[in-house]
Amino acid sequence: MKFILSSVLICSCLLSSLSAVAQLLPEIPSLEQAVKDGTLPAMQQRLPINPAKADFTNKTIGQYGGSIRMLMGKSKDIRMMTVYGYARLVGYDEKLQLKADILEKVDVEEGRIFTLHLRAGHKWSDGVEFTSEDFRFFWQDIATHPVLSPYGPPHEMMRSEKIPLFEVIDKYTVRYTWQQPNPYFLPALAGPSPLFIYMPAHYMKQFHADHTSKDEMEHQIELAKKRNWRGVFVSKGRQYKLTNPELPTLQPWVNTTSLPSERFVFKRNPFFHRVDPQGQQLPYVDEIIMNISSSGLVPAKTGSGESDLQARYLRLDNYTFLKAGENNNNYKVNLWGTGRGAHIALYPNLTAKDPKWRALMQNADFRRALSLGVNREEINQVIYFGLALPMVNTVLPDSPLYKEKYAQSYAQFDPVSANKLLDTINLHRRDARGIRLFPDGSPVEILVQTAGESTEETDVLALVKDNWRRIGIQMYIKPIQREVLRNRIFSGAAIMTTWFGLPNGLPVAQMSPQELAPTRQDQLAWSQWGRHYETKEGESPTLPKVKKLVELNEAWTRAATDDEKTEIWHQMLEIHASQVYSIGLVSAILQPLVVNKALRNVPEKGFFNWDPGAFFGIYNMPSFWYATDKEPK
Amino acid sequence: MPSYIVKRCLTMIPTLIIISILVFIIIQLPPGDYLESYIAELESQGESVDPQKIAFLRQEYGLDKPLWEQYYVWISGFVQGDLGYSFEYNLPVAEVVGDKMWLTIAVSFVTIFVTWLIAFPIGMYSATHPYSWGDYGLTFLGFLGLATPNFLLALVMLYLANQYFGTSIGGLMDSEYINQPWSLDKAKSVLAHLWIPVVVIGTSGTAGMIRRLRANLMDELRKPYVVTGRAKGLGEFKLLTKYPLRLSLNFFIADIGSLLPSVISGAEVVAVVLSLPTTGPLLLSALQSQDMYLAGSFLMFLAILTVVGVLISDIALAMLDPRIRLQGGMQK
Repeated sequence: MKFILSSVLICSCLLSSLSAVAQLLPEIPSLEQAVKDGTLPAMQQRLPINPAKADFTNKTIGQYGGSIRMLMGKSKDIRMMTVYGYARLVGYDEKLQLKADILEKVDVEEGRIFTLHLRAGHKWSDGVEFTSEDFRFFWQDIATHPVLSPYGPPHEMMRSEKIPLFEVIDKYTVRYTWQQPNPYFLPALAGPSPLFIYMPAHYMKQFHADHTSKDEMEHQIELAKKRNWRGVFVSKGRQYKLTNPELPTLQPWVNTTSLPSERFVFKRNPFFHRVDPQGQQLPYVDEIIMNISSSGLVPAKTGSGESDLQARYLRLDNYTFLKAGENNNNYKVNLWGTGRGAHIALYPNLTAKDPKWRALMQNADFRRALSLGVNREEINQVIYFGLALPMVNTVLPDSPLYKEKYAQSYAQFDPVSANKLLDTINLHRRDARGIRLFPDGSPVEILVQTAGESTEETDVLALVKDNWRRIGIQMYIKPIQREVLRNRIFSGAAIMTTWFGLPNGLPVAQMSPQELAPTRQDQLAWSQWGRHYETKEGESPTLPKVKKLVELNEAWTRAATDDEKTEIWHQMLEIHASQVYSIGLVSAILQPLVVNKALRNVPEKGFFNWDPGAFFGIYNMPSFWYATDKEPK
Repeated sequence: MPSYIVKRCLTMIPTLIIISILVFIIIQLPPGDYLESYIAELESQGESVDPQKIAFLRQEYGLDKPLWEQYYVWISGFVQGDLGYSFEYNLPVAEVVGDKMWLTIAVSFVTIFVTWLIAFPIGMYSATHPYSWGDYGLTFLGFLGLATPNFLLALVMLYLANQYFGTSIGGLMDSEYINQPWSLDKAKSVLAHLWIPVVVIGTSGTAGMIRRLRANLMDELRKPYVVTGRAKGLGEFKLLTKYPLRLSLNFFIADIGSLLPSVISGAEVVAVVLSLPTTGPLLLSALQSQDMYLAGSFLMFLAILTVVGVLISDIALAMLDPRIRLQGGMQK
């Protein structure tokens, strides 16, 4: 009893001291009127009892106001606000460590029991409290609902045939229990396009047939011109795509414009849960404005000062043009890094349909020779102003898993060794042009298929083509449409393709190494084997080293300690370095980032990467602010 | 005459049915469907898609059904005024096209009007002063407009307008006026942007019109009735406008057939380059992403306008020019 009393006392003391702080803090100017009118509670009541303190290392305390204008190529791109806003249950920080964000904390036991603790008093953007009911609603009424999810819960939540056990502990605590460890769960929650395991139950129930009368539901279907209630529900509840301005959200800015439109205005979420070190509620900037323009015009418009924060649709070759407009248009151009393992990589198709080519592509010495036959420094100098890194497709130097021997493995231009290698694998005969011949007499002519939407790829390939002539390999370049390309890879009709390298070039050991093993059909080097892993149909991997990769990937999911995980990563990277499953041409391309000169807290140096990174997401966009109180011009 | 119109109207029905089938087949011809181009697009940006979700969407959009069934659903809805559903926008097609239609019509009408305003005086001048310096000079200018690629001209004009007048690049108005109610400032902003597409699209149309008017008019000017008129003391201008000009305008009425659809589709390429909020880029992107109901309904709409436009111009020609006989047209 005494204990309870004292804790109540402490609590009330804490509360009063908190409210004392609140009185000191000024209200956000743009919300002052609403608070005075009583349509909006004061800042202290809008924040959770224990708000998320944002990390302000190397950042300054800001002031409120202003709007950030951005340019997007399609109205569908407004989903980027969910990426940039990056309010996640758990999210990566700038050092790529997982931290609780929306959650107060998360307890993990044995890698399989996840207890999520919500922040008491945290509210949706419409002011309704965010509680375990929102998780229950998602789990029972959506993820395991026979009509809404005929295929069961999202695959990140399925470690075996059996669905996890979901429990509501109290109003602010929920628990998920798997039978095996699930290392995919937290990274999926932290993803740029995250796994949403909650939904605003109070709003979405009106579109759910189990919670609404039949007449009302039919009226809704009629209104939305949908075929059934499932269609209505899905279209009203797109938490990632933000197409419904009425949908409550937890993100820092809330969409106020419905589609179709050429201009979208995102207003501040008055109930956002993060605060700066002084306890002032974020975000600083009042609104984000997205103007839709054809993507080809984005560099030109940015260069004339029509965007305050722009990286999407800008490429390195726009750099000089953008730089020229810097002074006239009050912006500066930063160069950020990118996070892909390689900017462009060649993928020999190990599961090509033609047996002759399949055998050749599966020959490690052939792939090594091709890699040695590429002059990466030449590509870097000719096309990328020497600003990129001439290395193969592996993790980048900024990753803790990086080793120079991975990056430089078969990366040096060495036509002599390449020719020697090719001579030893029964390709020593040549025709009159000097092109090597298969034992059956047909020339080794490789058709490289590329989704040629930009001339950049074909320019790079033209250089590789010249290089390969010196080792007696003829290359032809064929640009085709992306969707056609995909299907040709899946069927094995394409023998070599280009794409970017590892999607995540900045991994830490806690991130899944599944991209290094055949796990998905859309992996270009071994799409058939990836399909086999996904669906258990088709053919399974035949090469012992590839089988080893699959085993290692499985072992990673069971690994208990970080040391073990690191060890597995290194083994897999080692195999990739020696086996050259893909031929990375150039890495670490720089990304121009145009920033309004008055905009503060945007890092000079950073990574513009999808996952991990969520582009501006990990840099806490709500902490960006304008140094003048004037509207940016 | 009435029986002619009824017959023409009846032949429109099979024509439109054939067009609808063709449109549907051609949209489906490229490999894959909307979802596959959707996945490919997401992947090019580095995003990945949950295969379960794709299976779900395929079912939801009815893409798992056979082609003829998809066609039937679309066309039976279309006849009842339901244009179908756009996958790309997650909205009914009518809503997607809605607002854009008015801006497109505005741009088209201004363009057409400006084209006439320039082409008529020049055409008349060239015909009455053939083979003179003025004729050659103006014709040269017209050909220059015809020969310059529109997209190039558009880019150059964009740059110049931005450099010298400070006009924001692309679009039909400054971005702060989008979704705002109409005001004087908004109208000014629209006018500041409107002249670029009008000039760009107009230049190509002008040359063609000048040449046709000149050719038709010159044929007429040599005829004896002109000589007679002049001999009887008619003023040169009155003589020109009263008889030969009217007779040489046949081509102008015949143009209505192709004019109607172009009013609502606009000049696609220029609109894409200038990022105009008109229907042209919408149609193009719908075709690219195989958003089949949006593209299909739009193309059908254009087809209907073409068919109706041709009918109107035929009727108008028959009524305005007594030399044209209906029977001849029917025998063809």
